[in-house]
Order: sequence, then structure tokens, then C-alpha cells
Amino acid sequence: MKHVVKCENITKIFEQGLIKVNALTDVNISVEAGEFICLSGPSGSGKSTLLNMIGGLDTPTSGEVYIDGDEIDTLNRSQLADMRLHKIGFVFQAYNLIPVLSAQENVEMVMQMQGIDKHTRHQRSSAILKEVGLEGLEDRKPPELSGGQQQRVAVARAIVSQPSLILADEPTANLDSNSASNLIDLMLHINKQHNTTFIISTHDPMIMQRARKLVKLHDGQITDIISQNNHV
Amino acid sequence: MINSIRLIFALSWRNLWRNKRRTLIILFAIILGVWAMIVTAAFMRGMVFQMLEDTVDNLAGHVQIHHPQYLDDPVIDNSFNPQSAAVSKLLQDPRIALSSTRIRLAAVIVSERESSGITMLGIDPAQESKVSFIGRSVVEGRFLDSTSDNGIVIGKALADKLQTRLGKRIVLMSQDINNEIADRGFRIVGIFDAPLDPTEKSFIFIAKDNAEKMLGLKNKASEIVLRLHNTDMVNSLVNDYAQFDKNIDVMSWLKAEPYLEMMIELMDSSMFIWYLIVFLAMAFGIINTLLMAVFERTREFGLFQALGQKPGFILFQVWLEAVLMIIVGLVIGNILSWLSVLATGDGIDVSVFARGMEMLNMSNIIPFVITFDDLIVANLTVAILGMLTGLYPAWRASRLVPAHAITRI
Amino acid sequence: MRHLVIQIFSFLLLFHLAVSSQAETAAQLIRQAMDNYRGLSSYSEASMTIHRPDWERVMSMKVWTQGLDKSLVRITAPIKDKNGGSLLIGDNMWSYAPKINRVIKIPSSMSNQSWMGSDFSNNDIARADEIINNYTHTLLETKKINNRLTYIIQSVPNEDAPVVWGKEIITINDHYVLLKHEFYDQDNILIKTLTASEIKKVGDKYISLKQRMQKTDHANEWTEVVTTVVKFNVTFNKNTFTLSNLRNPR
Repeated sequence: MKHVVKCENITKIFEQGLIKVNALTDVNISVEAGEFICLSGPSGSGKSTLLNMIGGLDTPTSGEVYIDGDEIDTLNRSQLADMRLHKIGFVFQAYNLIPVLSAQENVEMVMQMQGIDKHTRHQRSSAILKEVGLEGLEDRKPPELSGGQQQRVAVARAIVSQPSLILADEPTANLDSNSASNLIDLMLHINKQHNTTFIISTHDPMIMQRARKLVKLHDGQITDIISQNNHV
Repeated sequence: MINSIRLIFALSWRNLWRNKRRTLIILFAIILGVWAMIVTAAFMRGMVFQMLEDTVDNLAGHVQIHHPQYLDDPVIDNSFNPQSAAVSKLLQDPRIALSSTRIRLAAVIVSERESSGITMLGIDPAQESKVSFIGRSVVEGRFLDSTSDNGIVIGKALADKLQTRLGKRIVLMSQDINNEIADRGFRIVGIFDAPLDPTEKSFIFIAKDNAEKMLGLKNKASEIVLRLHNTDMVNSLVNDYAQFDKNIDVMSWLKAEPYLEMMIELMDSSMFIWYLIVFLAMAFGIINTLLMAVFERTREFGLFQALGQKPGFILFQVWLEAVLMIIVGLVIGNILSWLSVLATGDGIDVSVFARGMEMLNMSNIIPFVITFDDLIVANLTVAILGMLTGLYPAWRASRLVPAHAITRI
Repeated sequence: MRHLVIQIFSFLLLFHLAVSSQAETAAQLIRQAMDNYRGLSSYSEASMTIHRPDWERVMSMKVWTQGLDKSLVRITAPIKDKNGGSLLIGDNMWSYAPKINRVIKIPSSMSNQSWMGSDFSNNDIARADEIINNYTHTLLETKKINNRLTYIIQSVPNEDAPVVWGKEIITINDHYVLLKHEFYDQDNILIKTLTASEIKKVGDKYISLKQRMQKTDHANEWTEVVTTVVKFNVTFNKNTFTLSNLRNPR
């Protein structure tokens, strides 16, 4: 089976003044299409760093990352941006949305960059926003939405262009448990519906419980990979 | 691509109004800068324009004909025959609107109490009154009425200096054709008023026949000044007659007033320095504002990159904010300048500074003159330099490493 | 300096007066006064005192004259001005300043300036004969002063005369000695007065040995010329009235 993501011997060293910190050490991981993976571990264990490496937001000190079989180390900034635009959707912990754009515009933004025509954009964004349960709130600007609603918009934006991979960095960290639960439901639903691969970094036990694969990190190294079949 | 550009426009425009206060302040700075540039240029232009007008009006005309040596040594020997075939032919040029033939020499005017060195002009009143200011500047008494009028017309300031007045006699002294003292009494029949004291103090007018008689001249003139139909014709006319006749020298009034030519050049360069100063103040504002905006929105730029926006688009987006600000500023600034120039009407009265202005040889009313060139230079300076300035913060924004930008709270 | 410096000031002013058909008597008087000196040569020595409120200067000079149109003045004291002088031929006047060793022709622009710093202007000194036709003379009064017949003549410059005064009043006695010359502006205000005193007979001529020019507005400012030596009918070297003599006194 083709790997959506493949990391080989990834090491990332941050230099802070004279101190060198090994954020990741020799990490190897492969992700297949349609997986729903949870990266877990305490703060500073390297899960966000790993996610950034996979998304091409940062470059590893050594080792290679492959997305859909392409080695991203060989891509320049512009090509990386293109790759993210077409293949990867991001959901961050907070501040996910562009504050000057409405919910719908935020969702349409990625499609706009992809060059999709206005009519299609509108149709798709409306449908997605409906799917994530934000019908009627399309014209609201981010400050007029609740934290949970904002994260839903972020998910909607991430999936709207049907990327093969969605990277979510602590998506529920700023949400109450009810909103968090709803968001997890939404992501699982999308995973199932569109066969979209999810890699989620979190220390939210709710996500860990429901992920099909749990990758545990500690001090920049993978300590455990647990496959579970515990969701409905 | 078009979609992206449309998106970027929307983003830039909306971001501009995100921090309204800051944008308005910097916009105000740009508007003020543009306004200051244009209005100052208009004022300086007006000043030069007025100086030129005054000079042309002030006896210089558009084109002057002299004996080739007259300018170096304006003495009686350096006069020419104004009725020679060559001169007569020249005067028939269709570009010439008006002309005045003058005897123009240094002289001394003496009253009972004072004396003063002046330039005497022996003129044909009918010609002269059309060519120069004098025809409409006599405020007391009358102007000379014929080429044999026995009167003299002097300036108000000169009358004051000599402690004399209308109706009194004064004595005019000069050197005649044999270099002997030539003197004669004249009765003051008119007092003229000029915008500038020096004009009133330096020139006196007598009828040509009397000047000839007094100086022993016959059929001789010191200069002929021409007014053309259009100022633009000056250079072509001067060029056409440059080598026309060895007994005369034909030149543009600007050559006759080298300090004016210098003044114009000086104004051009000082105007540019002024533009730069205004612009520098503006540029610091623009850079500062944009850098602050970039700093505040670091996460957002990280996010844009994560969402797949290319560094070039981020650069374009931030730069566009500067450009939009500059365009808006330019439009409003230009409109405001235009309105302020309209509001001042004929010009501004600077008579409060009359003393200083007279020292600079300027009138009390300075018109605003907006030239197309000045508008272009001012607008281009702001636009081009401003846009270049905007590149720096934009470049900074585009160079952010997405991971670092996003994790920054 | 038409004559002895003394006469200079009186005569040259007299020469302004000219023939006029309207005022036969007055004009005749003036013509006679002029004739009295025509063709006369003279040598004299004089001192000129220039008085100002805060200083006073005295200059000594020698004066040669020939008729009405040639004269030479040479300063003999003080030392710093010594050998300086003026030469007058007809209308033209030249000055020599030993300090700069240069002869300059007095241009028309300087004709109204002070002569040697005195209250006489170059113009006062250098007026020419042609001005003879420039006035209308009227005999105002004839009276006896000090037993001498004295004429008071009013001279009004003609319209185009190169004279700035409104009128001049001249007092002259029957020895053709000018006693007083008053200058009025065109509003009939007295501007300055030349007064002559110490009348003395030299040979068969009468002259005044002392003249004072006084400006009306400034009581403390005047110039006085006192003649100490006068000789008439002297013979001159041919080059007395030449520029080279002005520059290199022999």
C-alpha cells in the first residue's frame, strides 16, 4: 500500500543560544491513506515538531520526509507551499482563521488560491459549512464565532479542497469538552466519509481513546505505537 | 492566479482598515506630505512665475535687441541704429506682438536736497506703455503723452527719497555722446507705483526726443524690447536672429537676467531636496506602520503559508497594503492641494513679509502655479519611493519560517 | 573754482546769472559783473575751514585762475592731502588724489557730491558758462548798504535749466562784489546761504576775503574760505592748466 506520509530517521535539533535541544531523534513513521492517527505525549515530547516536519512547515536537521512518495526536502519554499495547498489541510490549536475574512471566505480562501471558480467555490463552501454544522453563520467574521465554531470553520477549510492529508495540532486544546467531543465526531466522520488521512497531535485523552492508531512520543522518540479498534 | 490576486486585494484592503487609527494616521501623513509637496511646489513655482512676470513686465520684455557690447558696458557709445534695414526687417517678424525702442543709460537725478543714481529711459510713450508696467502704473499725475513731452515720470519711492513731489522740477545728469556732462531740468508730471521699491527707485522715464537732445544722440537706441505673442516663441525667435546682423545682439530676456535663470535652477533643486525631506518623513511612517503590522500578524503569515500561500503572494499582499495606502493618500492629497490652490484664488498676500520679499525682488501677491511637471514629480516621488519602501516590510513578512511564525503567540 | 578760491565761490555763482530781456537792469548788472573778471588772471592763497558739530578741519590751498573757464586748486596743507587738487576747464573737472596717485574725471554722477568734504558740491564749483541762459533775473531792490549801492536780484531758473533751486536771491554791490547768495527750494524754503565779508580792494578790483556757506537746517555745519594772498594779472606757464600739471606739480 502506498504511504501518504513516510518519515525516515528524522532528527531535529533546535539551537537556543549555546544550548542544543534534540526535539526529534531518529523518528521513523509511515502513514497509510485513510488512517486516523493520534500523536500523543507530554509537552516537549516533539509531537508538534513532528507534525511541522510532515507539513513542510519546518525542515528536519537530518532525515527525509516523503509525502505521497515525494521527498519534500528537495522542494523550494514555493513548491512546498503548492504541496500544502493541494495535499494537506491544517488545523491548529487556535487562531486558525484569517480575522478579516468571514467564515465562508475563510473556507473559500484555499479554493480561491487553487484557482477554483467562484460558483463552485460557493457551492462547496456552503455544503461543507452545512456539513460541519455552521449553516447560517457563513457571513460571520472569526471574532463573532465561539472557539468551537472557529475550529469547525478551520476543519471545514482543511477538508474543503479534499486534501489527502489533514494535520491537526492540538485542535481541542482550547475547547470545552462538549465542543471537543463534537469536533472529534466531525473529524472521524470526515475520515470515514472522504477517506481523508488524519494526523492529530494531542494530549486530549478523548482523542487518544478514539484514534485508530496511537503513536506515543517521549523526548523526541517514538516509544510506542498502539493500534486500537475502539470506535464505532 | 486572477483568483489569488483578487483574494490578495481583498486581504490587503481589509487589513488596512483593521487598525483604523494607525492607518488613518499614516494616511494623514502621506496626504499631508503630498499636499505639502504640491502646495510648496505651487508656491515656489508661483514665486518664480511672478518673478518672471515682473521681470518681463519690468522692462525686460521677452526678447531684447542691443548693441553687441551694451550688456557688458551699458554706455552711450554702445547704442545702435533702430532704423537700420536689419532692425526694420527683424521688427516685421510675425511672432512679435509689441516693441518699444529705448535709450537706456545710467544717470543721476538731483533734487534740492538729495541725489540718486538711476537708470534713465528715453522712450516713446505710446510704445512703452503697452510693453511694460509703466503704462498702467502712474498713480499721480499722468504718463508722458508724446515723444517730445517735457516732463519726467519717476517712482514713488524715488520721489520720497529725493524729497520731491509731483509738479516739482528735478535735474537729470548723464554723460553725452562726447562724454561731457549732459544735464537738464525736468518737471515731474507723473509718479508711478511699482510692486517693488527697487523698481520705483531705479527707473525714470522721459520722452525720447528730449533724451536725444540732452545726450546729443540722433537715431540711436540702447535697446529695443519685444513682446511676443507667446512665451514659447522666445527661443525660436532668438535662434533665428542669432547671427542676423553684426551690429545688433538679439537675446532672450532670461539671458539678460542671469540671476533669474540661476534662481529657477536653484528652485528646481531645492524643490527636489524638499521632496526628499518630506518623503523621508513619510517613508519612516510607512515602514514603521507596516513593520508593526507584520509583527502583529506574524501568526497569520505563518498560517497563510501553512494553507499553501506562496512567499511571493505574502510579499505581494503586504506590499499591496503600502501601495493602497499610498494610492489613497495620493488621491486625497492631490485633491486637497487642488482645493487649497483654488481657495487661494489669485494667490496669497505676503505683504506681511513685504520687506523680506522686496529683498528677494518679489511682489506682495504670490500666485499658486501648479505645473504638470511638478505634479508628476511629486506624485512619482511618493509613488515610486513609497512603493520601494513598502517592499522591505513585505519582504520581511514573506521570509518568516511558517513553523516559527505559527508557534509565536 | 573759477577764480581765487574766494572768488571761486562767489564768481562761479555769479556766472550762473545770465542775460535776460525781461530784466534788462538785473541782467546788465550780471553781465558787467562777469565782464569785470573776463580775461583776468589771478593767483591766490586761501584756507578753507569745514566745521561740523564734533570736528573741524582746516585746509590750505593755492589757486590759479585764467579768465572764466580755467582754474587750478592745489592743497598745501594738511600733509596728508598735500599736492592733491582739482583742475577745471570749461565744464570738465578733474581731481587728483596723491594717495592713490590718480587723476579722475569727475563724472556727472559725482557732480552733486561734496567738494573736498566741504559744504560746496562739485556742482557748486564747476558750473559752466552755458548756464548763462538758464535764469530769468529780476531786480528786486536797490539800496545803500555801508554807503554802497547794493542790488538785490532774484534769479529763477528756466523750465529746463539744470538747476534744482526754485529761486536764488543774489545781493551784489556796485563794485560787483557778491555779498550774499541765497538758495531756495521750489517751496520757497531757504536751503543754504553764501555770505561774503571783508571787502577789500586789490589793484583796481574789489573782492571779499571771507565767504561762508551755511546750510539753513544745520546751524553747526558750515564751510568758510578765507583768502590771505591775492594777485591779479599774473602770467602763467603754458602748462599750468593741464592734467600733467595737476598730477606733477612744479
